[in-house]
Amino acid sequence: MANLQQPGKKKIKVTKNVDGHPVEEEIEVDDTGGPSWGPRAAHTLLNTELPRVDGPVKVTGRAVYSQDVRLPGMLYARVLVSPFPVATVELDLDAARKSPGVGAVIDLEVKGVKWLGQPVAAVAADTPERADDALRALAPKWKPGKWAVTREQALAANAPQVGRKGNLGKESSKGERAETEAAMQGAAAVVEAVYSVPVQHHVCLETHGVTVDFSGGDSAKVYASTQATFSIPGDAARELGLKASAVEGIVQYMGGGFGSKFGLGFEGQLACQLSKQAGKPVHLLLTRPVEFTSGGNRSGVHVSMKGAIRADGTLVALVSEAERFGGIGEAARHPQPYIYEFEKSFASSVSVLTHTDSSRAMRAPGHPQASFAMESLIDELCAKAGLDPLEVRKKNLKHEAYQRQLTRVAQEIGWNAHPNKTAPGKPEGRWCTGIGFGVSVWGGGGHPECEVEVRIERDGSVSSAVGSQDLGTGVRTYVASIVAEELGLPLGGVEARIGSSRLGQANGSGGSTTTGSLAPAVKSAAWNARTKFAEHLAQALGSDPAQIRFAAGSVEDQKSGRKLSFAQACAMLPQEGLTAKGEWVAELAGNGIQGAQAAKVRVDPLTGKVEVLKLVCVQNCGLPINRLTLRSQIAGGMVQALSYGLLEERVIDPDLGLALNANLEDYKVAGPLEIGEIVALIDDEDTREQAIGVAEATVIPGHSAIANAVFNACGARVRDMPLTPDKVLAALGRV
Amino acid sequence: MSKTPDAGDSPDSKALSRRRFLRGAGGVAAGGVLAQGLIGCAEAPARATAQEPPEPAAPAGGETLEGELEIELSINGQARKLRCEPRTTLLSALRHRCEPALTGTKEVCDRGNCGACTVHVDGKPALACLLLAVDQRGKQITTIEGLGSPEKLSALQQSFWTHDGQMCGFCTPGFVMSIQACLDKQPKASLEEIKRSCSGNICRCGTYPAVFEAALAVARGGK
Repeated sequence: MANLQQPGKKKIKVTKNVDGHPVEEEIEVDDTGGPSWGPRAAHTLLNTELPRVDGPVKVTGRAVYSQDVRLPGMLYARVLVSPFPVATVELDLDAARKSPGVGAVIDLEVKGVKWLGQPVAAVAADTPERADDALRALAPKWKPGKWAVTREQALAANAPQVGRKGNLGKESSKGERAETEAAMQGAAAVVEAVYSVPVQHHVCLETHGVTVDFSGGDSAKVYASTQATFSIPGDAARELGLKASAVEGIVQYMGGGFGSKFGLGFEGQLACQLSKQAGKPVHLLLTRPVEFTSGGNRSGVHVSMKGAIRADGTLVALVSEAERFGGIGEAARHPQPYIYEFEKSFASSVSVLTHTDSSRAMRAPGHPQASFAMESLIDELCAKAGLDPLEVRKKNLKHEAYQRQLTRVAQEIGWNAHPNKTAPGKPEGRWCTGIGFGVSVWGGGGHPECEVEVRIERDGSVSSAVGSQDLGTGVRTYVASIVAEELGLPLGGVEARIGSSRLGQANGSGGSTTTGSLAPAVKSAAWNARTKFAEHLAQALGSDPAQIRFAAGSVEDQKSGRKLSFAQACAMLPQEGLTAKGEWVAELAGNGIQGAQAAKVRVDPLTGKVEVLKLVCVQNCGLPINRLTLRSQIAGGMVQALSYGLLEERVIDPDLGLALNANLEDYKVAGPLEIGEIVALIDDEDTREQAIGVAEATVIPGHSAIANAVFNACGARVRDMPLTPDKVLAALGRV
Repeated sequence: MSKTPDAGDSPDSKALSRRRFLRGAGGVAAGGVLAQGLIGCAEAPARATAQEPPEPAAPAGGETLEGELEIELSINGQARKLRCEPRTTLLSALRHRCEPALTGTKEVCDRGNCGACTVHVDGKPALACLLLAVDQRGKQITTIEGLGSPEKLSALQQSFWTHDGQMCGFCTPGFVMSIQACLDKQPKASLEEIKRSCSGNICRCGTYPAVFEAALAVARGGK
């Protein structure tokens, strides 16, 4: 077959993020030389520990988040959402309009509520308290209908219908079931079990919302708590009746997203509509209870697994049938067999619809749920066959990274000296100690979407600008550090400007694709700036561009031996300074990371209480752009997994239809007292000179390792997250 | 002037509804004594339950406050005049009534569950969302803005920065305030004491390990 590629072009696989979900596609890129990251030992800023550049404004409360924007005449908005999953409602709109201080009231004219937390109206008033008054003045008269909010309700014979085609989504399956079942014959152990993960929440500390700076007129600014700066202007402009080019999306600081904040959202649409109606700026950040019912959730799963293992530890066959719970929408997919290789497998999966809000992407959508089922099953197989779960993992994981990573986490957690290797400990005494393992995988990768601009001024100041947002991952810091290193400057020598749709375009932050997409573009802009600068200086100095070296705040012409300070060199630029742009370079981004985690817990068989003593993670990531913020992100994933594993579950009363824990008092997330020793290690044996994001991988296996450690400690196999004391006692047969 | 019972209430009615009890107790007990008790009981303002929306306050004399009031609060060593209602919480007053607004104190749960709005009242940590602004007259309030500035960080803020005790940063001011109060009392606090001092604070990005390191570094360095 003829080669259809143009000379100088090549096809590569990239990962594009669509609302937090990774989508792989093949694209054609230039096959040329250009910037490269390496060699690793030569870095002066990258691969070191750099305190983040926005640390000082964050620790002093000076960072202005969307919630903190204050504008003259600004109104505060509140949204009325349905407390029932299915209902009709009558509102007293006049009373709300007459309520003191009210500037705008919107009736969404919802004919019939279809999900718990569905917005039905919004109000805006001059103080938050008066907005609350106006919301109460609406005096909603709810007429509850019939609903399905649990698995049992949704699957019942006469269940109220949720979707247009019933309560099941489209079923998918792969593999041959009969063949897989047959392969289990003669295995050393077969385990059949049902594992479940409840619907859980993102719990971003800054709730979803925007502050709209619009008072009529022909332009607007929208300060949004979003993971995608560039998703704001177009949608906001439509609501405001403006051109998209007249609307600036601003995301200077945002208080957490974790996959739940893409696009303007209903809250942003309502804020724009209220602002347009009132002719005043509007501040609309969801209240905490509304955030819980209407600001997104991580989908749940109920999966029947049947697996078989040989006496030599080979995983033979797996049958997996998953029901996923993503509210009225399709839930995150449930990939099985997850990571481990089975000789034969059959996996089916279907969404079960309920009258609750649609799930949203949450760090590694679907993977933590799949990890819980798979890692639990593996340990159950090992226990039944009398095998060492660490050895069985190594045997059935093909990627070499897992071999070294599992060895290292086992060493760090103290597995070698641990007594319960092939059988769990007995539930005796007060505290039983156990160890468990789990692994993770993610694609990550990058995509050609970002455009970065580096400016060098005659006075020696340098800026690096791109519209991208920083979710707390350290984007703002590497937008500066990559340029600073290229120009031989300290970190403080470059100002990072991000978080505005007026700057160069950037992708949304989801699916661990930000670093893979943005860092190469920053590097490319930095390389172009240095190259242009060197050309200019060579001309001025009668030298050769290749002889101009930038290091330690100086510029040296190696031909003449002349050395200038960076500022002196900049003074030789023309009045307009120097501008260089950079776009994505395929060679600078990588794809595919692995990680292993281990947990050490102690369990009190008398009370069922689980304490995590220690969590260890070894994570690879190509080039560590910033080792300090990278370790924070790894630790953060581990802490979130601990919280999901031990504490978190959305509870809705099936009969009353009410959300029972839509607040931070009853929906518990891990606090300081739940945190044991957290050891986040970077796998430096991954020597790829490529930028890869780590957000997703680190949150995948922690809770699985904890569940296995609980079993290893005392034989309590809890198959239903979270691992609350009552479930531990039930697993021990004590309640 | 004392508040008369609501029209329609019979004077001999002894049946006190929960709402009426809270109303009667509002300013003095619920807004004042309970909150003081809460902040006084430990280093940590423990996660607690807010009841009904705060009712108008009745100061010691039994006077009823209504409508918009002009009050003076001492915030970060400065006397600040502001307008608020009796029901306005200290959190709302700082964020929405002060001019310029003091937005470093974050609103996350607005019911005492998360620690993001931790401030110091007369040197003790307190949750600004559980206090009424009018009750803070005559007290010394310190917010995150009063500890240090980006140009001149406090020792603890500096340590948070260098240990990366912040990611998205939204919970950070609350953690700094909780732990600062602990260190003010116990300059050489142990890890356990530090954990307890911020046990009412939540961080969703999971920065706890770095937060503990940051605090311990200050405790070990003796400030």
